[in-house]
Amino acid sequence: MKPEAYTSRSAEEAAEATGTGGAIRLAGRRSILGEAVDGLRRNSLMAAAATVTMAVALSVAGWGMIVSANLVHVAGVLESQVEVVGFLRRDLGAAESKRALAAARAIPSVRSAVLVDRDEAMRRLGRTFGSLARVSKQLPANPLPDSIEVRVSDARHARAVAGALRGVAGVDEVMFGAPVVDRLVALTRAVRLAGAGVAALLAGAALLIIINTIRLTVVARRQEIEIMTLVGAAPGFVRGPFLVEGALQGLAASAVATAIMVAGYSAVAGGVTRSLPFLPILEPRAVLPEAVAAIWLLGAAVGFAGSLFGIRRFLGA
Amino acid sequence: MIHFDGVEKRYPSGVLALQGVSLHIEPGEFVFLVGPTGSGKSTILRLVQCIERPTAGCVTVDGTDVGTLPPSQVPLLRRRLGVVFQEFKLLPDRSVADNVAFALRVTDVEPAEVVPRVRWALETVGMAHRANDPPARLSGGEQQRVCLARAVVTRPRIVLADEPTGNLDPDAAWQIVHLLGTINLRGTTVVMSTHNPTLVDVLRRRVIALHAGRIVRDETRGLYQPLG
Repeated sequence: MKPEAYTSRSAEEAAEATGTGGAIRLAGRRSILGEAVDGLRRNSLMAAAATVTMAVALSVAGWGMIVSANLVHVAGVLESQVEVVGFLRRDLGAAESKRALAAARAIPSVRSAVLVDRDEAMRRLGRTFGSLARVSKQLPANPLPDSIEVRVSDARHARAVAGALRGVAGVDEVMFGAPVVDRLVALTRAVRLAGAGVAALLAGAALLIIINTIRLTVVARRQEIEIMTLVGAAPGFVRGPFLVEGALQGLAASAVATAIMVAGYSAVAGGVTRSLPFLPILEPRAVLPEAVAAIWLLGAAVGFAGSLFGIRRFLGA
Repeated sequence: MIHFDGVEKRYPSGVLALQGVSLHIEPGEFVFLVGPTGSGKSTILRLVQCIERPTAGCVTVDGTDVGTLPPSQVPLLRRRLGVVFQEFKLLPDRSVADNVAFALRVTDVEPAEVVPRVRWALETVGMAHRANDPPARLSGGEQQRVCLARAVVTRPRIVLADEPTGNLDPDAAWQIVHLLGTINLRGTTVVMSTHNPTLVDVLRRRVIALHAGRIVRDETRGLYQPLG
């Protein structure tokens, strides 16, 4: 042990000057991103475990969004079936019928309106009730009236549309199955709420799992953080690499979750469409882009925020 | 260099760790803090590092009032201190040299300065030949010497050693105390807490004895136990 007074020398000079144990090899100085990547490499096993956990949590959240989107879609499809029918007076001429149709189309919340003449109505009756077709042929004249079939843009407005249609000149009677529509509106509202609830619940669970996972990785490296703070590292210097690490883990987990969601939903949607064609399930391209974007955003943001909260307790002094 | 004036420290749990402590340590002094566990030795060292703040009184370190120091200035104070821990606190996944360089990297030291400073610090503690080894290959005494190199590599004005020989055999303990003495001879103030009577009694340096959070003895060339 022969300590000398410290004098500044270049790294090269110092390396050459060694006579006690060869050149000193030091890891190179890095940017915050480099430090973050190095931190992940040094703690690769824990980082991998955390990333897989986050990927699973993000996948669950992603599936929550997909299920929610499909429930909303089913509710929309059911509501789009709601129809208000206005039966026209029998003495109406063609010009008056067209005026009534134009008036119906002008009613707010009307998505579409078509004129169904009495012959078409009879044909439909025949298709629906085959035996009635034979009976109708024995009638002296077609007893059915012309009608205007109205589709509403929002089932909740069906009652208001029916009221307005009653006021249209030439309309004799209006039918829209009020009790059924009321029940349908209540049902679709519940379905929408359930969809949002499922998505929020799973996203919340994913959030807690991810934040906790990242906090555990930060806690496991508390000695490193403690040493940094005790030798005088500025909080930003300590925090920076950890935040970038968290965001990188979040993004890696998002990539894995994306693969799981895309492959899984494509298979599920294809299977359902083939075996249950009447079920109105969303096409993958209609739901996946939004869900995937949300997962990537959630992954990076939660990874970042998890690190921030995790490290805060060690930087509190 | 270090001034405590009527310092009280009460932890949030209600424990009163220090009461009415006044002490003045001049630049270049070597001071032993002795006393039973819980007497307040570590609290004094934590106050000097600004890990804790006094609940009453005034703590001044190298001209800085610790009690009113804004959090943003705390790292700057700590860069003027070197700290040696009983349990070494070396990072197992980095080499000896990287552990020592760690103290420089997290501060604003010029990259070109890092290698020569690390070499100087390791030569000071006689560990330059193990520079590229991982800490796990070193004995306890060697690890503590590396910890000492990390403490002095920033050229601090004060070195704080909290029970640095607590986990070491007698030979290794003497090596560490000898090194601390060498560092002190260069003008660095050294404050060391210890339970080792032999080290204190042989070196005969200033001894500050604490009991139940109070200073009960302060002798310029003291012993571990009072005479008589």
